[in-house]
Amino acid sequence: MTKLNITILAIFCGSILFAQEKKTDTVFKKRVLEKTEVDFLMSYYTQDGNHAAVTGGIGTEKLNDITPTFIVAMPLNDDDVLTAEIGISAYTSASSSNVDPFDGNAPASPWVESSGASAADTWVNGNFDYSHSSDDRNTVLGANLSVASEYDYFSIGFGGHVAKLFNQKNTEVSLKANVYIDTWNPQYPAEFRAGFMSSPGYDTNYTEFDKLGRNTYSLSASVSQILTKKMQVSLFLDVVQQDGLLSAPHQRVYFADKADFFIEDFHLADDVERLPDTRFKLPVGMRLNYFINEYVTFRSYYRLYTDDWGITAHTAEIELPIKITRAFAVIPTYRYYTQTEADYFSGYNTHLSTQEFYTSDYDLSKFNSNQYGIGLRYTDIFTKLKIFKLGLKSIDLKYSSYNRSDGLNASIISGGAKFVLD
Amino acid sequence: MKLNKFKIGLLLTIIITFSLSSCVAVKEYEKVYVNDVDMKLTANKINKFETSFQVYREAASGANGGKAGGGCGCN
Repeated sequence: MTKLNITILAIFCGSILFAQEKKTDTVFKKRVLEKTEVDFLMSYYTQDGNHAAVTGGIGTEKLNDITPTFIVAMPLNDDDVLTAEIGISAYTSASSSNVDPFDGNAPASPWVESSGASAADTWVNGNFDYSHSSDDRNTVLGANLSVASEYDYFSIGFGGHVAKLFNQKNTEVSLKANVYIDTWNPQYPAEFRAGFMSSPGYDTNYTEFDKLGRNTYSLSASVSQILTKKMQVSLFLDVVQQDGLLSAPHQRVYFADKADFFIEDFHLADDVERLPDTRFKLPVGMRLNYFINEYVTFRSYYRLYTDDWGITAHTAEIELPIKITRAFAVIPTYRYYTQTEADYFSGYNTHLSTQEFYTSDYDLSKFNSNQYGIGLRYTDIFTKLKIFKLGLKSIDLKYSSYNRSDGLNASIISGGAKFVLD
Repeated sequence: MKLNKFKIGLLLTIIITFSLSSCVAVKEYEKVYVNDVDMKLTANKINKFETSFQVYREAASGANGGKAGGGCGCN
């Protein structure tokens, strides 16, 4: 009888303890995202150079691009967050305009911008991500969907991700898988289009591409680790396989072993870029951040990239956020990049017509680049400034100057404002 | 040969990372510094535009916590 009483008492006490523990968990479960957050981002990008791929490695690369973007992150309940991103990229491109340089306004030339339909385009993009966190916040599961469209390209992508935290949330391991199903609507150079009146004897290698799809399969893994109270590191590995039409159908190539034909100052193409229909990419990256003191933080990034087109690249970046006051921070940045050239690259009028693959796209050439930037951040953790129901949380501004060793120069101004919905 | 060098580099990076990860776990109440806004192990949101133009102007992409390829007629 006494044993039974003790057993009942033990079960009763155990139940109370278990119930209290469970109740405690429920009470202190913090929402993954307290309130809806809205980011409005914008950038203005401008570049110029003299190696346009559309005109076979010579010609103007002048380009301007403006990109308004909205990102909204909404808590659906304590555990689930839905993030939607809608972005537009509206650009004018001198080199793209020369897909058809014979507009009659000025003598056709790779150095002169044409006024054709390809001179401007708009890229529209939507990304949607849903994520669910476990009660103990040690597991996050999610799925994403993306759509992107511009005049000559359409893409739909989907994927899933999982993250697991260990070791008192000092270690995080995450896996992400994505598939992109893309399709070209090729805009071939004007001289290859039906009805073009070419010169007698003009003979090319050109044939239309018969397969217009491009598929990308990527698997990403990352490990983040808190090393000390002031230092943490993250390691990224992506495995990417692409197949399909990896050439850009509007990029011209000229052969050294073919006769040259000109209309006005414009060299008629011998073919368009031809690249293999598969590509395997293997980038590995690392971030290391160190909290120097309450004013200065050291942020660093390094990436080693290789692929089976013969390209090896190194990227190194340093950011040094300096908190001037509680609200303002200045962020100087520097980025260095270097790459070897693709096996299929050669400059203007140097390829041979007997080659299987060829491109004169200087983005695949050997070069290095330096990028200097300066950022400014304003933060108000109390969101005192209100615009309707939106409280301003932070404002970011950044300017960067990019200089490539082949002569391409670019500048970009980026800005962003984050609001919290009250 | 290039891939062999790459694999060695990758292996060394992983070994170093996991060796460092054997450090003593930092408790929640000691994470005030690593939780600072500038200590995030991701790129700042406004850097997405820079990453985007770099993906077009350079052959390398990925391994930065973002998209690793696809979705644009870029390299």
